[in-house]
Amino acid sequence: MSIEVRHLTKRFGSTVVCDDLSLDIPSGELVALLGPSGSGKTTLLRMIAGLERPDAGSVLFHGVDATDADVRSRRVGFVFQHYALFGQMTVFENVAFGLRVRPKAARPAEPAIRAKVAELLSLVQLGPFAERYPHQLSGGQRQRIALARALAVEPQVLLLDEPFGALDAKVRKELRRWLRHLHDEMHVTSVFVTHDQEEAMEVADRIVVMNQGRIEQDGPPDEVYDHPASAFVLQFLGEVNLFRGGPGHLPGKGGEAPIDYVRPHELRVVAQAEPGSVPVTLAQALTVGPDTRLEWKRAEGEGTLDVEMPRSDWVALRDRLGLKTGSAAHLVPRKVTRFISDDDDPAAMI
Amino acid sequence: MSSMLTSATTEPAWLRRTLIAIALLFLALFLFVPLAAVFFEALKKGLGVYVAAITDPDALSAIKLTLIAAAIAVPMNLVFGVAAAWAIAKFEFRGRDLLLTLIDLPFSVSPVIAGLIFVLVFGLQGWLGGWLRNHDLKVIFALPGIVLATVFITFPFVARELIPLMQAQGTEQEEAARVLGAGGWQIFRRITLPNIKWALLYGVILCNARAMGEFGAVSVVSGHIRGQTNTMPLHIEILYNEYQFAAAFAVASLLAGLALLTLALKYVVERRTAATHQKART
Repeated sequence: MSIEVRHLTKRFGSTVVCDDLSLDIPSGELVALLGPSGSGKTTLLRMIAGLERPDAGSVLFHGVDATDADVRSRRVGFVFQHYALFGQMTVFENVAFGLRVRPKAARPAEPAIRAKVAELLSLVQLGPFAERYPHQLSGGQRQRIALARALAVEPQVLLLDEPFGALDAKVRKELRRWLRHLHDEMHVTSVFVTHDQEEAMEVADRIVVMNQGRIEQDGPPDEVYDHPASAFVLQFLGEVNLFRGGPGHLPGKGGEAPIDYVRPHELRVVAQAEPGSVPVTLAQALTVGPDTRLEWKRAEGEGTLDVEMPRSDWVALRDRLGLKTGSAAHLVPRKVTRFISDDDDPAAMI
Repeated sequence: MSSMLTSATTEPAWLRRTLIAIALLFLALFLFVPLAAVFFEALKKGLGVYVAAITDPDALSAIKLTLIAAAIAVPMNLVFGVAAAWAIAKFEFRGRDLLLTLIDLPFSVSPVIAGLIFVLVFGLQGWLGGWLRNHDLKVIFALPGIVLATVFITFPFVARELIPLMQAQGTEQEEAARVLGAGGWQIFRRITLPNIKWALLYGVILCNARAMGEFGAVSVVSGHIRGQTNTMPLHIEILYNEYQFAAAFAVASLLAGLALLTLALKYVVERRTAATHQKART
């Protein structure tokens, strides 16, 4: 089931939350809506679901206009950030809810409901928990039940609003891999909202980067990361060093001057000056797990530059150049992305 | 617990004991003694007088009228209260704050004024008086007036109890149910109602207690016609004014008994409500 979004606009009071959004999601794809809070991604998802009414524009399911269709008739599965499980019902009844509320003619018989729920519970690996209540489950288990509940009505489209946002880091990692596997098995068109770029890169077939109610870029994860369409996308997708007026120039107000962006792992540390290199002194080296993060102070002017490299590379480099806090060195960019600065100073957005 | 640990986080023992003593003394003086006095005075002249006072036709009529008024007013306010709380907690609309203030109006207006308003509107000399008389309808000095006054006075109890809980619970569960295909009534019956049932029961208990005990507003609209428009509180006042103390306290003991029963129920329900609030927060 494909989803087409045509010129969707939504205002809350005088704030434009979604500004003339258009988007095509082909059948069977897993798409991430990625953006900071207030970028309109959740509102867009809720308009696709029918939980929010657009002020203008339309939503098409498989080419059919569904803008005015009631939520109940859209056959979407929706997973909420805080699960929204029915606290007064057992896990079994939560999953069975969508089947039980059907009109009599369309409602499956009791044995069919039992079979369906059992199948879904085993799919989310929570078969033995059928008779528990939601408050007896952990966050990750609750979210899996929420997913099973959404899948029970055999939705044409699965929509997930920050599905892992309320979970701790380890469970979040596990669940997103699991979601990816689940999608590969079921191939139901899915859209999920996230503000975590790592999550979007890892799970999605395609990333739609949003900012201030607009779509900044729409493409596969690698393309969005390697060829960002704007300074905002570049900055939102990971750490980046800024060189106003190109490397070697001093940071400061550049007006219309181009700004060069270099990711921390795209900077090489050398002992002698080279063309395009920047003189620096080492401020500190922090090792987190397998990676080392170096903070360098610029020798000329203000500002620091970050460099990231594997821990083993750092150890080798340190021994070779005899580096310690305060040592002088030069940084050479391997890859530079250049954008002309404008009023939307990207540095001010983060 | 060692005293070293507690001394850092609590007040000294003498201060705690003094505070507790003051609270207990106050309770005894203003609650326990009067309550005991009601039952003592009621039974002072023997069980025979007590039974006679309660089974007196005027007393029975007052009890019946009180029960009828509560039986009409409480279900009405149950429906009004749920509707108002639902509207305020689950929707954003113009005039929402005004509605919230209006719900509190019966708390802020003196019951006597409330009664007078109804006399002004529905009384023979009132705005609708002529029309009502032409259609042979009697509101003031009759059951409809007493019910109206009771409904007005007890309106806030259910709504006030539900609004904070429903606001804390938010709309996510209802939205989830709607996406899963549930209709409006199914959502209310299967999701909303189970989530608010204990708070609702609590509100109904308070509402009922006040409906049976209301004096001021009912006194203005009832006309004090013995055996016809006297409710229990009004009947007690009349007996007292006629120096029939034993009889007055006998009927009063029924209301006091109702209050004790309400307290017991309230205690049980309050604990369940607290548990629901806890769940809404997690």
